[in-house]
Amino acid sequence: MTQRLTVCLGLTFLLCSGAALSAVQNTTAVFEEPLLITSAGQNAEVQLAAVLAKRAGLDYILSKLATASDLENTKTLTLVLGASLKGLGAAGLDVDKERERVRALVTESQKRNIPILCLHLGGEARRGQQTDDLIAEFLTWAKMAIVVKSGNNDGFFTKICQAKNIPLIEVGKTADALEPLRKAFKR
Amino acid sequence: MKEIKGNKLSAAFFFLLTLTVCFFSGRSFLSLHQPEAIFPGPGLTEQKMLSSYFPALKNTPGDTAVYFFRGKEEGGRVLILGGTHPNEPAGLVTAVLLIENIRLERGSLFIVPRANASGFSHSDPQEGNPQRFAVPTPSGQRLFRLGSRLTNPVHQWPDPAIYVNPAGQKLSGMEARNLNRCYPGRAKGNLTEKVAWAVMELIRRENIDLGIDLHESAPEYPVINAIVFHENSSELAALALMDIQAQGFDIRLEASPANLRGLSHREWGDHAGVKAILLETPNASHGRLKGKPSSSLIVEGKDKFYTRASRLGWLFVPYGEEGIPLSLRVARHLAGVEALLASLEALEPEKSVICGNIPPPHQVIEKGLGPFLHPPD
Repeated sequence: MTQRLTVCLGLTFLLCSGAALSAVQNTTAVFEEPLLITSAGQNAEVQLAAVLAKRAGLDYILSKLATASDLENTKTLTLVLGASLKGLGAAGLDVDKERERVRALVTESQKRNIPILCLHLGGEARRGQQTDDLIAEFLTWAKMAIVVKSGNNDGFFTKICQAKNIPLIEVGKTADALEPLRKAFKR
Repeated sequence: MKEIKGNKLSAAFFFLLTLTVCFFSGRSFLSLHQPEAIFPGPGLTEQKMLSSYFPALKNTPGDTAVYFFRGKEEGGRVLILGGTHPNEPAGLVTAVLLIENIRLERGSLFIVPRANASGFSHSDPQEGNPQRFAVPTPSGQRLFRLGSRLTNPVHQWPDPAIYVNPAGQKLSGMEARNLNRCYPGRAKGNLTEKVAWAVMELIRRENIDLGIDLHESAPEYPVINAIVFHENSSELAALALMDIQAQGFDIRLEASPANLRGLSHREWGDHAGVKAILLETPNASHGRLKGKPSSSLIVEGKDKFYTRASRLGWLFVPYGEEGIPLSLRVARHLAGVEALLASLEALEPEKSVICGNIPPPHQVIEKGLGPFLHPPD
């Protein structure tokens, strides 16, 4: 009996893992334009996201300090995850104030049924306790996540995405995020 | 216990010994005032001095050579600075490699290899740094000076207790001798501020479109392997980053903080409206965790203490036993310069600068710097 139970659990786990893997590999168009791009943590990769959106031909607005009012006429909220002390200092914020700003933005987007796309483009270099805290809080709200693989070497993104059933797309380098980003939007 | 008594003979002996030691050590120290030879390639159009843009700098220790390359066609105008901090050797060597190799097909390129010339004429006290480092070439060693981050105090003294830079930021007193805290400079300021003013004059008079400042930082410093950009250059920097990553180099973006004043990537953009970029590579030789300072530490970049620190997770870059050699750091800068020129062309084709014969970064890593440097005298 115990053996059967173990086999059944094992099979269930394998099926779930397979489903998660297929979610990782396939990008489906779930988002609509225009999109609002902002960072969670005032990182510089928000500029990379804007360049990728431009190259993907998407209708986007970049606002480093976006507030709830910026969600007017927005159909997708894109959060670029990663804390930069330099960026926070330049914006006159600390991590707590930044968290409050993004929290208000996420709350409003949920009220308006605006889906959230999370990006992490800084790789391993853009990890650390402060970044991880922001990821842990805001990634859970995402409808999809695109991350540079080296930032997920420890499986941190995988763990959260699997727990919340969020499709996770890993790319080798920043430029490789272009194609999944393009495919993630309905045209 | 036997008492040792001095006499006139022993006094004279020690006096002469002291004079001899002072003579030879003084001569060795003063030899740092002699710039290392640079052998411009056939692509050079003109060589002038920075004082030609600001005559008050003439015949001062701050005056320095500007190497000018012009293409056959009109195009953009780019400035590259090495040696802003003379203890960050990849900046100087990258500039020398460009001067000795490139040919310009379109646009104009201005290269200042020793931006803070005074800083090359001394070394940091109590650091035990070598005066020079040797880069092997097929025909022998090329020697380059390892200077100090700051202007020589013999040339600019004393430091104020608190330095208020030309952009109004309060800094510690010694930063008055840090060229990368003195922008946009002062025409009637101290020597370092005059050098900064002269660089700004070059930018203004030559209608520079893009300025690139080449630096290095210690592996324990968070802004490393990075492109630091003025907000007017965000798209340029993002495009260049993707290009550099495509070449296999790990690199990140850092925005220039608007409230950190006096730096090239801030003031060049704010005061002259040019696109402003600063590139950083990791250099163990001016970090705080290094072992014995030496020429080989600078050139080969191997340091067991940094390797250990890396294993303990204390660094912002991986630092293995193979080290991070100067050739790799220079290759990173070369890849950065190439990528920035390509991105400038992509964004503003009329301002493109097409530069031939840049030493290919991956060949520099594979073959070393020697094959791309002119043989020594």
